[in-house]
Amino acid sequence: MAAVMHGVLLAATATGHASLVDWGTFVVAAAIVLSGAIGVVVARNPVHSALMLVMTLFGIAVLFVLQRDDFLAAVQVIVYAGAIVVLFLFVIMFLGVDRDENIATEPLRGQRPLAVALVALGVTGLLLLGEVSKWTTGALSVAGSTDSSTSNVAQLGTSVYTTYLFPFEVTSALLVIAVVGAVALARRPPAVVTAPDPDDELVDESAPAAADAHQEVTP
Amino acid sequence: MLHLTYLIILLPLVGFAVQVLFGRRLGDPVAGAVATIFVGASFIVSVGVFFDLLAVHGAVRSFTQNLWTWIPVGGMQIHAGLYVDPLSMTMVLFVTGISALIHLYSIGYMKGDRDYPKFFLYLNLFVASMLILVLGNNLLVTYVGWEGVGTCSYLLVAFWFTRETAAVAGKKAFIYNRIGDAGFIAAAFLTFDKVGSLDYSVIFANVGKIGTANITAICLLLMVGVAAKSAQIPLFPWLADAMEGPTPVSALIHAATMVTAGVYLLCRVNPLLHASPDAAWIVALIGAATAFVAATIACAQNDIKKVLAYSTVSQLGYMVLAIGAGAYEAAIFLMVAHAFFKGLLFLGSGSVIHGLHDEQDLKRMGNLRVYMPITFVTFGIGWLAIAGVPPLSGFWAKGDVLDNAWAAHPALWVVGIFTALLTAYYMSRLSGLAFFGQDRWKNKVAVGADADMPDAHHAAGPIPEPHESKWVMTLPLIVLAVLAAAGGVMAFATPHLSLARWVDPVFSGSLYNDHETTSTIWKLSTLDAVVAVIGVFIGLRLWITRADRPKLEWAFLRQSWYFNEIFDAIIGRPGARLAQFTSTVIEDKVIDGAVDGTGALVRRTGMALRRVQTGYVRNYALWIVVGIVALFAFMLTRTWWA
Amino acid sequence: MSTLLFAAASGAYGAKIHTPHIDYLSILPILIMMGGAVLLVTASSLFRQVMGVGSATFITVGTAIATLVAALFQWDHVVTHGAKVTIAGSIAYDGFSVFIQIVVAIAMLLTALIADGYLKREGIDGPEFHVLAMLSASGAMLMGSANDLIVIFLGLEILSIALYVLAAFNHKRAESGEAALKYFVLGAFSSAVFVYGIALVYGATGSSNLPQIADYLSKNVVASNGVLLAGLALLLVGFGFKIAAVPFHMWSPDVYQGSPSPVTGLMAAIAKAGAFAALLRVFVSSFGTLRADWQPIVWGIAILSLVVGAFAALVQKDIKRMMAYSSINHAGFILLGVQAATVRGVSASLYYLFAYMFMVIGTFAVITVVARDGDSGHQLTDYRGLGKRQPLLALAFAVLLLAQAGAPFTTGFLAKFTVVAAAVDIHSYALAVIAMASAAVAAFFYLRVVVAMYSPVGAVGDLSDLDAGELDAGPISVASPANAPVSVHGQNDAVASLSVLTEGPPTSAVADRMVRVPGLTTVAIGLSVGFTIVFGIIPGPIVDFAHQATLLFT
Repeated sequence: MAAVMHGVLLAATATGHASLVDWGTFVVAAAIVLSGAIGVVVARNPVHSALMLVMTLFGIAVLFVLQRDDFLAAVQVIVYAGAIVVLFLFVIMFLGVDRDENIATEPLRGQRPLAVALVALGVTGLLLLGEVSKWTTGALSVAGSTDSSTSNVAQLGTSVYTTYLFPFEVTSALLVIAVVGAVALARRPPAVVTAPDPDDELVDESAPAAADAHQEVTP
Repeated sequence: MLHLTYLIILLPLVGFAVQVLFGRRLGDPVAGAVATIFVGASFIVSVGVFFDLLAVHGAVRSFTQNLWTWIPVGGMQIHAGLYVDPLSMTMVLFVTGISALIHLYSIGYMKGDRDYPKFFLYLNLFVASMLILVLGNNLLVTYVGWEGVGTCSYLLVAFWFTRETAAVAGKKAFIYNRIGDAGFIAAAFLTFDKVGSLDYSVIFANVGKIGTANITAICLLLMVGVAAKSAQIPLFPWLADAMEGPTPVSALIHAATMVTAGVYLLCRVNPLLHASPDAAWIVALIGAATAFVAATIACAQNDIKKVLAYSTVSQLGYMVLAIGAGAYEAAIFLMVAHAFFKGLLFLGSGSVIHGLHDEQDLKRMGNLRVYMPITFVTFGIGWLAIAGVPPLSGFWAKGDVLDNAWAAHPALWVVGIFTALLTAYYMSRLSGLAFFGQDRWKNKVAVGADADMPDAHHAAGPIPEPHESKWVMTLPLIVLAVLAAAGGVMAFATPHLSLARWVDPVFSGSLYNDHETTSTIWKLSTLDAVVAVIGVFIGLRLWITRADRPKLEWAFLRQSWYFNEIFDAIIGRPGARLAQFTSTVIEDKVIDGAVDGTGALVRRTGMALRRVQTGYVRNYALWIVVGIVALFAFMLTRTWWA
Repeated sequence: MSTLLFAAASGAYGAKIHTPHIDYLSILPILIMMGGAVLLVTASSLFRQVMGVGSATFITVGTAIATLVAALFQWDHVVTHGAKVTIAGSIAYDGFSVFIQIVVAIAMLLTALIADGYLKREGIDGPEFHVLAMLSASGAMLMGSANDLIVIFLGLEILSIALYVLAAFNHKRAESGEAALKYFVLGAFSSAVFVYGIALVYGATGSSNLPQIADYLSKNVVASNGVLLAGLALLLVGFGFKIAAVPFHMWSPDVYQGSPSPVTGLMAAIAKAGAFAALLRVFVSSFGTLRADWQPIVWGIAILSLVVGAFAALVQKDIKRMMAYSSINHAGFILLGVQAATVRGVSASLYYLFAYMFMVIGTFAVITVVARDGDSGHQLTDYRGLGKRQPLLALAFAVLLLAQAGAPFTTGFLAKFTVVAAAVDIHSYALAVIAMASAAVAAFFYLRVVVAMYSPVGAVGDLSDLDAGELDAGPISVASPANAPVSVHGQNDAVASLSVLTEGPPTSAVADRMVRVPGLTTVAIGLSVGFTIVFGIIPGPIVDFAHQATLLFT
């Protein structure tokens, strides 16, 4: 636990504002983010999962504010919490999968304890590695210090149109893929055999659990 | 046209590709015609290249064409390069020329065969391989060709593989050649180790640095390869069995071209041989012994093709003898002349066999001159040529070899001249039995039919009346007959154009015609002619009148000096016993155990790995996490405990 | 250009923004590939009625050829003018990137040719297939050119997301959708890990730009920087997933098996090309100074991939699963070159990628046609007697398989030879020995297919007892539990019984028939075999090409 606290402290100092208020805000926001993320996975009802996701996203927005990234915080709330998760909820209700899933039984022996143990090990490893780190000093972000008088939006805009112009433009290809892919998957004629529902993909991380639950493999 | 040299190889290769892709569709006889055209085109290109090479002036006319870097790995840069000089050019000319003729002949000979296109496919591949062997500018390229011709030889000997003797003969040829290949590759390794390159030019430039003992070792290792490929003692028995292949194959591969590859190789590495007199002596002795032994065996064979096969071995012995004596020019001269007359003799024998409906036993022939006049006349020219009757090509070529043998050591000459007598004798015996005397093919049972004819594969009985072959078969006979008759021109046409002068610059260390005065040569030549005539006379005299003379056909000779039996006793039987031991003890107990164990281990490992593959996404993700944890653990060792 | 105007207008306090100069030549192949995709999707929606599969293929092939020409033009330019970094440091314009563009463009060309026959046979109407394939290819090309971790990530996502959809493209096969879903979920997981890695590296070095990272690392001695090393580890996991290296390979057998066969070929070729390109660039050039930290990891992953790939492939009955493990084995070989991290190692890896691209796409072209209608005939038994029925097809397949096994006189031989030589060069003898041993094991399963092709239909006992068992068990064993989860959904029984009726067991009745090889597929197979043989006999040009590409590495 000491290591965890230490890591948190380190992360907090890295922002350059190691005041107590900042520290306290960080701890609370981080707790919200983590508990929300865990909630997404363990909630039985997909609707609850989606709501938990909103919680996580809000927590992240708070973290952005803590970093003086007001614009990103706003975008986080409007786009992710506001639009995307609402879309999730639409889909969930539209498909009528808003009933409780039985996730108590796990056909794979040792899967869950192993998963918990390994994730714990991984996190421990990461924290231990963080312990011996030397974080870079100097510019906190490529776009410049968040303390400067330039507004956050302007800084972001400048870097998007200068340093990150190419990555920014190239994301359009992703959008094309998303549109074409969605059309290609959705427009298919009724399948001969019942294939896994393509819309599963829209449900993001909760979908695999649902799909897997159907599997009947006896190794 | 020098830069078109690659075409010489490419054309038969394209022919091969065409046969692979469309052979079946082209069928009989178009496939054969197509194959012939490609080889013929190759010959035409060769002629063009030849004239260009003639126009090159300089100490040594030569041209190297580097096609591409073949093995470009680090310090080892092996190029796929071609090397044209008078030596390789001579080979290319007669290989492509004779191949074209024999392709043409095969169109008729193989007519109606079930695997007609396959035959031409192999034949084209063979020509390409042989040309790679001849034109390669380094040992490795030569080796590729060397292996290629060996493989084609195997495929063609065993062409009628449903016949067991053919399949066995193919295998035998292959195994003997493998022994030789081992020698070749060992020589190549040793050379690379000492010189650091396999290019002939580099090797020859560094002869001085290799050291005499190493040179001798390289030469003797190469000689192992040569002995197998060119059927020298002790690796010659495969050649007689190789006669199981179709007759055009015997003519092309086992008389005119492939078997001379060994002789060519020795000529190619002449600077090495020159630097090692010990090796040269051994080569000369092997050549002389082979020439003699094979000639004696040929005197007692009844299968027309086997007589010719042993005759080939004997003639190859002459060539090797000449090389050992340092007279490379003489060897090349005999090689070319031999390609003409032996190709002619084989094709003639093929015509006879064809005319007699696949009869090969001499004792069941006779008086064929009446029925097959063209074959008789052309075959007769070949016969007199190989016997050494002047003024045919064989007289000049063999005389050249014998003169140089005399110069090297009189003992070699004595063996040579006696072999010449035998040659004239057994060839006359063959001709006497086949073309003169009684029409024995009418008899129901062969005269003196004996047990050493395992290839008398069809029941004895009267044979339908012989007939002359079609033009596709007789035309090559006529062309080759002209060449065999007039081949002597090569020796002394003009001072500038003689074969010896043409190839001489290649052989830096040649001892050709160094020592003898003109008068000595005259005396020796006269003696050659006399011996030849005596041999012919005896042969005809004895064998026209009677076909059955057991006293002159010793079992010892019929059985090829029991070479097969000797091999069987010293290698075959102990080998079989070793194999038996291996299969019962080592194989069953040791290896099977190990293999079964390994197999079981492999299977169990595979099964275990398969069990890991559960099909559950979350399980797969878990493995990724395992990987992450392992990587973190490693990184921790690099930070905390470093 | 309205975006630029907008940017200028919203600039803080009217300050002028100096937008970077855009060197269009440096991204020309990517632009052409993406442009072709957009053109096709536009054309297909405007002229839905008149556009068939054929015209979509035509546009795709044209785009691929144009891309190839542009890349060759680039090559010429780079050779004469030297390498440089363009568009605000986002793009590396060097021989290395051009090499990858060429590989991917050719892969796209071949795949388009194969897919044409496949789509027609399966009755899948979809220019979207070609659109997504082209976008996916552009992602792989982007990964080859990327000079910034963010761009690498974007390339990775463009490549992957398009492939997820392509994997699901055959909606008549349940396996296809299942494969896509698995690929998607695991891919998203690995992407998350990858992004986390980028974040950590950014945190430790202060930049996501590769040269700047290298610059930082060369100026600051960062002994035991835990966060940086953790970032490295996570990046390796992300790359390891894409190249299907053990233990991040678990998805590949299921996905290879389930995806439509032409997609599998494309996936194997371009995902490897793109991911390896980025891996080489990031680790060899940016993290070259941290070699001691990551080389042992790559060493371990390479060994695991070599061994697991070879051994697991031995027990497969489904040829596509076998090819999946074979590709894992190949990834191990290419990692040999990465592990060497020398000029020789990098050029060996590049050569391997080039050679492998032809081999694997050619192989999947044959698998596509042999699978017959329904894309279901993937059992070894389906190959019985192919040598007799269609000798040329069997010969081509045999050549491609033997090339993968590393037979001499094919590109596969030199590919294996060069990577092993590179490993020996840096004294990784153990790795070299294991690689060669695994090649020997691998030769066995390739030869098993060759033997199957040249053995008569219905002959039992010439193969391992596994096959005999499979023959006895009949069609149900296609979905047998041990052989992993084909059709393992709730409707398992329905699928299995249906497969008995429609897909048919690989027994003589079906297997005796000739398979139809469409003309364009023949061209693709011919190109693959031709390349494999011709440049196996004359390896010089391609070896030089790969070597030069390495020398022009920024």
